[in-house]
Amino acid sequence: MSGHGSPKKTLSTRAIQLLSLLVIFGVLYGVTRVAPELETHLGTVAAIGFMLLAGTLMSELLETIGLPHLSGYLLAGIVGGPHVLHLVDHHTVGELSPVNTLALSLIALAGGAELRIETLRSVARGLAWATLLQSTVVLVCVAGVFLSISGYLPFTHGLGIKPLIGVSLLWGVLAVSRSPSACMGILSQTRAKGPVATFSLAFIMLSDVVVVILVAAMMMLARPLITNSGSVSLDDFTVLGHEILSSIAVGVTLGLGLAIYLRLVGRQLLLVLLAIGFGLSDTFSYIGVDSLLAFLSAGFVVTNLSDQGPKLLHSIEQTGSVVFVVFFATAGADLDIPLLRQMGPVAVALCASRTLFTIIAGRISSRVADDPAILKRWAWSSLVSQAGLALGLSLVIAKAFPGFGPGFRSLAIAAVAINEMIGPVLFKFALDRAGETDRHEPEARPSLAPPPAS
Amino acid sequence: MNAIAFLLGLLVLAYVGSILVGGRAIRGFGLASGAEYLVLGFVLGPQVLSVVGRSIVESFQPILLVGVSWLGLLLGVSYLRVGQRVVPVRRVLLGILLSAGVSACVSAAVFFGASSFSSLPRVEVIAFAAVAGIVCSETTRHSVRWVVERHGAKGPLADLAADTSRASALFAALSLSIVNAWLPGAALPAFSVLGRVCVSLGLGVVLGLTSVLLLGREFRRDESWGILLGASLLATGAAARLNLSPISATFAMGLTLAIVSRHRLDIKAMITPTEKPVILPVVLLAGAYVNVKLPTALLLLVAIALVVKLCARVSFGALLAATFPAVGNSGSEFGLSMLSSGALGLSVALAFAVRHPGQVSDSVLLLAAFGVLIGEWLGPAALRRALTREGEIKPEQPPLPPAPTNLESSA
Repeated sequence: MSGHGSPKKTLSTRAIQLLSLLVIFGVLYGVTRVAPELETHLGTVAAIGFMLLAGTLMSELLETIGLPHLSGYLLAGIVGGPHVLHLVDHHTVGELSPVNTLALSLIALAGGAELRIETLRSVARGLAWATLLQSTVVLVCVAGVFLSISGYLPFTHGLGIKPLIGVSLLWGVLAVSRSPSACMGILSQTRAKGPVATFSLAFIMLSDVVVVILVAAMMMLARPLITNSGSVSLDDFTVLGHEILSSIAVGVTLGLGLAIYLRLVGRQLLLVLLAIGFGLSDTFSYIGVDSLLAFLSAGFVVTNLSDQGPKLLHSIEQTGSVVFVVFFATAGADLDIPLLRQMGPVAVALCASRTLFTIIAGRISSRVADDPAILKRWAWSSLVSQAGLALGLSLVIAKAFPGFGPGFRSLAIAAVAINEMIGPVLFKFALDRAGETDRHEPEARPSLAPPPAS
Repeated sequence: MNAIAFLLGLLVLAYVGSILVGGRAIRGFGLASGAEYLVLGFVLGPQVLSVVGRSIVESFQPILLVGVSWLGLLLGVSYLRVGQRVVPVRRVLLGILLSAGVSACVSAAVFFGASSFSSLPRVEVIAFAAVAGIVCSETTRHSVRWVVERHGAKGPLADLAADTSRASALFAALSLSIVNAWLPGAALPAFSVLGRVCVSLGLGVVLGLTSVLLLGREFRRDESWGILLGASLLATGAAARLNLSPISATFAMGLTLAIVSRHRLDIKAMITPTEKPVILPVVLLAGAYVNVKLPTALLLLVAIALVVKLCARVSFGALLAATFPAVGNSGSEFGLSMLSSGALGLSVALAFAVRHPGQVSDSVLLLAAFGVLIGEWLGPAALRRALTREGEIKPEQPPLPPAPTNLESSA
């Protein structure tokens, strides 16, 4: 992701970017029309190239109206995706899942590496209150809204009041999940520094753990309500406890290994990050370790137990400049626009209520924790975005409750799509208003001098 | 072995490659063409140990295609320069002519051989002959650089070797685009072969020009990576989807950047270090792709192609000795030194195997693999002899006698 505050772009630069964007769309449009039959795997290569270029250019062009780069990546994916121009089809979007794995591992590593113990201490009181209130107020209130509009949801028809309460609680817990990737994406672009940026990063990274626990708890509570049978079992918590502890242990080990490598060798970090992102993510999943938590812990260890944090962050930023564009553009291509249109009104109502209760909970927690004025005003702004984590949780819920699962997941996809598009815009707006974004020009240098003619 | 483990293995290999070109590299470490990795791939592949199964090798096809296309881009970007020295046009033409000459000899031999004693259909015979010629037309610049750096050679013959080997890439890239456009299955049926060739090269030129525009006035390294990587992937994917030649498209893109961009030296400096990390996994994959279980007639054709290549190289070397004073009395050695082939030949064979799978492409890959091994055996040694004879490598000094100790000197 290119840094925020690129040098002032002239009109001719923008015209060149627009022209290039049209060329790129034109090339792939022509190719897909001439050769509509996709050879297996080969479409993926063109799709990555297209998303990288189109996402970058779209983000540059949207920058002129103040939108974050992330919105540009998403828009490039939406326009080029299966529901609009069909330059990238469903099969290709599926094939790009390794890029998502890599991006998520880099995001978690970077997120952990950004969390310094002293920073956490400085916002600990605010974090504790925010976690408590955001998790309870938003969960309960959004569940209440869901319950009240459940009559408009086809997949809840025929459910009694107890099962409806169970489903509403599951929706409520889904509403509590945030998007570490969107938060990191915006912070990486804007290079924001300040209380809002620090609080947002710390809250969202920690909320990842909280949400996983909450989901387990709510599924445990909801199951007897929905199925009208069985009882509450604490076995899920035992498994969850093991998973969390083992994830942290594995992450700490990885972090120590990374710190040693960075100190003793410190070279070819791109290849090391690729190996970690691709290889370890799969290994973690195989041994039942939560990779997000493990990478988060690893980054945290590198920053707080060694002096190699800046080096790791710089490498991730370099690698991420390519990977994140493709990741978010793929997310855009994956948005189900027809479904969004179909479930739009209900999803909008649910998203609006979620945003409203997030703001209310944020204001209350900031007041109780006596946060600085800037946090009281903007602390909620990063909490609107939702992305992969929410979708992953909705899939878990859909699998656990096949009766209403598919409809529930469709609604979740529609709601996440809305939050995914609006959340980053709100967060960037808040960072700009809070004066935390960096407007320095990125480093540029004149080209190498031509050699003397031989 | 599963795909992830294999991917990690390739990343480790890329890591090794990056160390070989890094600041602490041992100059000239390993073999010039990377033949050892080719053999390693073959041993690990389905033909010998089957540690890497055929399905895994095939599932890595997109990565392979990206790798060979990236090499095409690298060759295009660095085509007109050796280091920072511009290759004279005369040398470029000479390099192209030499490649075309060797290619024509090999193609003719394979064509007549295949027509005489194989039962291949006409289309397959022509494809085999054409691609065998292309594969044999390359001289790897790594071999020349390896000898020059290891022995500190300097002079007109070393420059001639470096220039002609670099220039040989254009012929391969252009010819492959023609073959791919001609082969059955290419998209754009309404276009002539020439039209399809123009499309594959045009893709590269258009995306190269787009990159030039996007790179702008000032060079920003991080942004440039995204632009170059994105444009090369789009060129690769688009060409592959049309069943045209991805290597040719990215080569044209690289050449456009080398000619038009004001940042050509920055771009070259930026992407050149990626060459070894890409080459080693590609060569290993090529080794794993090699299939030796072929009909006798095809094996015989491979042998004929190799012999003709050897003879053609030696003959052209002798011809050069008569026309270029720099070659002096080392014509045959110089010709033999041009036998060295490497990543480009293998890439062409691999790209052909992806485009036109079957026994013919397996034979071409086998030819490329043997070409690498024989070139490795004969090429660097012949170049060293030629350079020594022409006085461009200083003969090794006998070790100096040990300095007298204080005791001896006082005595």
